[in-house]
Amino acid sequence: MIEFIDVDKTYHGSDAPIHALDDINFKVDTGEIYGVVGYSGAGKSTLIRCVNQLESVSAGQVIVDGKDLTALAPTELRVTKKRIGMIFQHFNLLNSKTIYTNVAMPLILNKTPKNEIKKRVAELLEFVGLSDKASQYPDQLSGGQKQRVGIARALATNPSILLCDEATSALDPQTTESILELLRKINKEYNITILLITHEMSVIRDVCHKVAVMENGKIIERGSVFDVFSNPQTETGRRFVNTVMQTELPAYVRELIQEQDNSQFIYRINFISKLAVKPYLSQISKLYDLDVNVLFGNITELQGVPFGNLIVQFDGSHDELKKALLYLEENNVQYSEVNTYAG
Amino acid sequence: MLVSWSTIFEAFLETVQMVSISFIFSVILGLPLGILLYVTRPGQILENKIIFTILNGVINVFRSLPFIILLVAIIPVTKFIVGTSIGTEAAIVPMVFFAGPYISRLVESSLLEVDEGVLEAADAMGATPMQTIIKFVLPEAFGSLIVNFTISIIGLVGASAMAGTVGGGGIGDLAITYGYQRFDTVTMLITVVILIIMVQGLQSAGNKFARVVRRR
Repeated sequence: MIEFIDVDKTYHGSDAPIHALDDINFKVDTGEIYGVVGYSGAGKSTLIRCVNQLESVSAGQVIVDGKDLTALAPTELRVTKKRIGMIFQHFNLLNSKTIYTNVAMPLILNKTPKNEIKKRVAELLEFVGLSDKASQYPDQLSGGQKQRVGIARALATNPSILLCDEATSALDPQTTESILELLRKINKEYNITILLITHEMSVIRDVCHKVAVMENGKIIERGSVFDVFSNPQTETGRRFVNTVMQTELPAYVRELIQEQDNSQFIYRINFISKLAVKPYLSQISKLYDLDVNVLFGNITELQGVPFGNLIVQFDGSHDELKKALLYLEENNVQYSEVNTYAG
Repeated sequence: MLVSWSTIFEAFLETVQMVSISFIFSVILGLPLGILLYVTRPGQILENKIIFTILNGVINVFRSLPFIILLVAIIPVTKFIVGTSIGTEAAIVPMVFFAGPYISRLVESSLLEVDEGVLEAADAMGATPMQTIIKFVLPEAFGSLIVNFTISIIGLVGASAMAGTVGGGGIGDLAITYGYQRFDTVTMLITVVILIIMVQGLQSAGNKFARVVRRR
């Protein structure tokens, strides 16, 4: 568990002081994958570095597994750090050492017996799928493979928490997908709490349970990924959600809405969970005297559940429409009438 | 030619002896100082303004002195350490005072080349400052250190030539006493060729070693 209580971080730069973290309060529960999203300079990088005290805080408390890290002596802090694994955007591997030694490093620092190290490293390399690379050097590996080495290294000491600092930002989309898959596997198999920071909303969508949006050193919005995606509260939150699924209506739909006559009705139908796979619309056109025309829509997947909405135009009489809407209600499908407003 | 081949060979051995012994002592002096400069530098793992400022200043003082002046200026120190101010051993003392601070500066710059990210990883793993230096920084800087050590050993070959001033012997001494002062052009040429071969040999050996270390 990670908890930030009233955390402030101020850098005293050459001119004005920079408020990197401003009154941060948030909590990551055990076993969660928590994502922090923000543009560069939002403070998310400072935030994640405070969790393992790579950066000290100016005020407030950082509590990890019940201990206030800001109050620990250096020796105790070093012990605690071994319970927190971290992976980095640029991997931060030792180029002068083999993959084996890189993964073994946290254990070497702990003075773990050689035969135990050997066993554990073999296990870790197996887990990340790089068993055949043990004797190679980092510069012989691709970016995705290097990040796998980083992950294996971070897991060496069986941490309870894994911090991911823009871990996929230097990788291509396909490699990103495979690394995220690995993170999900780590979370599931070892019940490791994961805190990740990213500027890619797709990463949040694909792996996170909860999300916080940061701007100017503040957490401006947070909640379950589902809530933030379906109903972002802030402009920045909306913009991030829009990067992975278009929630704004395209211009042509807006035009159609303005031009609609009395026999045309435009509705937004929300698809959440398994409902999304049932053929409600075709049922409606069969059961009622309505033409159904899908104007626009997007459906994405949040944690394995289809999620999205369709903008649908019903063509027919008002009575038939009422029946159709009742049918939707009976089946627990959320809908709302789309007016001329843009949302 | 006023000197025999055996004299030249003897002088060569003296140079090798002076350079290698003073190099070893210079590294013993310069490497820890360079590491100390690196770790106490503002923003580094054992940031310490006082130690850094003093060390930085002292090293700058030694680095400002041309070798020929250093050679004469520290004669009392030389006498105190080896008991005499004349001869090959006496030459080694000023050579160490010359190359030690030089090496510490080069070591510092080699270590500064190490990627910040590696230090961050070490910190995240809970490495002690000592572990950070030994397990992370020095291995990562090894190739660069070899290149810089090669530069300093070549600097010492040059300095050894001037050691003739205190009767240090060696190839340089031969070149000055015979080649320069007695107009023995042949000896001069031979010593020059030997020095060139030495420097070339050291440089390519250093490059090769660094390449092996860096694996490219």
